[in-house]
Amino acid sequence: MNSKTAIIIRREYLERVSKKSFIITTILMPVFMLALMALPALIAMFSESESRQILVIDKTGVIAPKLENTKTLTFSATDLTVDSARKVETADAVLVIPANTLSGEATMQMFSSGPSSMEVESEITNQVDNIVEQYKLKEYNIADLDNIIKSIHSDVKIQSLRNDEESSESSTMLSYMLGLGLTFFLYMALLLYGQMVMTSIIEEKNNRVLEIVVSSVRPTQLMLGKIVGIGLVAVTQIVIWGALLASMSAFVMPALIPADVTADIAALNAGTTSAESLSTDIEIVQALSVLGNVAYIIELFALLLAFLIGGFLFYAAIFAAIGSAVDNIQDASQLQSVVVIPIILGIILATTSISDPSSQLAVWSSFIPFTSPMVMMARIPFGIPAWEIAVSLVVLYASFLGAVWVAAKIYRVGIFMYGKKPSVKDLVHWINYK
Amino acid sequence: MDILTVNNVSKNYSGHKALDNVSLSVPQGKIYGLLGPNGAGKTTLIRIINHITAPDSGSVIFDGHPLTQDDVANIGYLPEERGLYKKMKVGDQAVFFARLKGLSKAEATKQLKTWFERLEISSWWNRRVEELSKGMAQKVQFIVTVLHEPKLLIFDEPFSGFDPINANLLRDEIIRLKNNGATVIFSTHNMSSVEEICDNITLINKGRNILTGNVEDLRREFTRGRYSLVFSGNPDELTSALAPMLETWSVEPATYDRQQLNLLLKPDASLRQLISVANEKTELAAVNEAMASMNDIFIEAVKSSDAQ
Repeated sequence: MNSKTAIIIRREYLERVSKKSFIITTILMPVFMLALMALPALIAMFSESESRQILVIDKTGVIAPKLENTKTLTFSATDLTVDSARKVETADAVLVIPANTLSGEATMQMFSSGPSSMEVESEITNQVDNIVEQYKLKEYNIADLDNIIKSIHSDVKIQSLRNDEESSESSTMLSYMLGLGLTFFLYMALLLYGQMVMTSIIEEKNNRVLEIVVSSVRPTQLMLGKIVGIGLVAVTQIVIWGALLASMSAFVMPALIPADVTADIAALNAGTTSAESLSTDIEIVQALSVLGNVAYIIELFALLLAFLIGGFLFYAAIFAAIGSAVDNIQDASQLQSVVVIPIILGIILATTSISDPSSQLAVWSSFIPFTSPMVMMARIPFGIPAWEIAVSLVVLYASFLGAVWVAAKIYRVGIFMYGKKPSVKDLVHWINYK
Repeated sequence: MDILTVNNVSKNYSGHKALDNVSLSVPQGKIYGLLGPNGAGKTTLIRIINHITAPDSGSVIFDGHPLTQDDVANIGYLPEERGLYKKMKVGDQAVFFARLKGLSKAEATKQLKTWFERLEISSWWNRRVEELSKGMAQKVQFIVTVLHEPKLLIFDEPFSGFDPINANLLRDEIIRLKNNGATVIFSTHNMSSVEEICDNITLINKGRNILTGNVEDLRREFTRGRYSLVFSGNPDELTSALAPMLETWSVEPATYDRQQLNLLLKPDASLRQLISVANEKTELAAVNEAMASMNDIFIEAVKSSDAQ
């Protein structure tokens, strides 16, 4: 049986990998992702020049002089009435500060030509709040107030260290980001490659090439060959992406990190430093230090592949059964909910697991094969016991065998069914056919 | 010797009996017609013979042993509904299918080149299937079916989609394969091609085998009561006078001003009666015993089985 399945796998794989579209997406995807990440910075760079002029009518007489200009806002106090101020053409907005503002409970008004933005509003309220607080503090007539305020200012951070593991370093912020990123990547990959299996089966069924193939191989062999072939395409694509990203982080990232930060990372890794001696934010240093840790990245990548392959095989089997049962994509949409709903549930559970990676819900949903790939990928960056990962993988791969067994039974009946749109009940019925 | 024996095979699909206790034997080296109206169960039977689906009960003996998955290497099946991978090149695709049948890549390529030359399609080797016409694609499918020199070939409507020239070409190839020792199961609705190339037939209706036999024997057997009268006169007058004696009839023009009445006598009517009535109404020129066509046999057998 194996040689025939191998011939099928070979065809499925080569057909896709040699396509121009595959080569283009594989190379352009990382470039596109980087561009997407760089985009906000680029936009900010080019949109800086625009500064808004704000006329301030200050009935308190205290606040206006203390408003500080920012990159985007320029304040200028005026004695004009509200109505005439609104007619000044050079002003983008008129801010009216009522007399009772110093009580701290007032509502200011802003007349803006064009829509005002959240950013502008929060900048103004923040500044005014600060000024009012300072003003009120001054009213207590405390000596040496400015120094007192400086000395009581607090900016506490946390450096998390693990006492149950060898590598003591861990960055919650990074784990959070990684967990989220990996989960979403897995979600996209499962849906994308799973649907590829389904559409390819529908296509085969539609143009009746299937009738010819099954006269030489068992339907199950064809189905397995297709799943494995497309799985290998997925692995190829992801390994290429991984290699591209790894080479970028190895060669490009060090060049981008300032020298003092690099020194901090080295100091942190050597264990010769504590948080207070660092010149940079501890979270960033930790994050960069973890990302520069090649062994950790490889381990994460290997686990990602393990869960991706397991999840793909499991879901692809179900997608294959659905594809075999219908004549066209439109008919598939209803049956597809059987797969899409658990995948979406997986991503929801994964995002809640990120907030509390060791909750009961997170642990259990990382064992159930429908949700385990996504939830596990969300939890792994936080560092969880190895046995949990092992159990999850074993359950996932065992479930794949079960799913294939059921899918094959549906498939070998479904591929010869034309016309009627089957229901889930029909599929269950087919499982019992001889 | 029989290369294939089907014993009491039944198959149900959700309460619908696709096959009901069907038995048949296909002798080695012959062309065997598998006939029946649409939905009679032919395709289901062919799929069982191909080991694609399993029967609910009954057995299939191939070449002296119960049919197994390994036997598909010795069977070539050209389905009625057939297609190819559209984006693949013709040559690559043919090699792919040949390898699925167990040929090595080199062997497959070598044999395919010979076949492509014989059917004059060598120039298609590097073209994509989507560029081919339907008839062209069917030539490729035919080659893929017969390439591995199977002992048993199953053709389901092989001529559909072919122009008469290519249909003849294909028919000659099928007869050549038979002469080289292959056995052919041939499923079609085209009864004149059955007369032309089949040695034996089985007729299936509503999942049951209603007629099996040698084509010549069957035609002779069904000839009983079948005559053609050549006459000059009013055909309506003649047929209305004869109607009580006839099962079926048709009138066609013959030579000069004469016409021909093809008829099947009712079992209780006699030829003598027929001639005397016909003589009164018209001027008879000739009375012949008519050989039943496969078309006649098909219609008569299906009708009488439906009536039961």
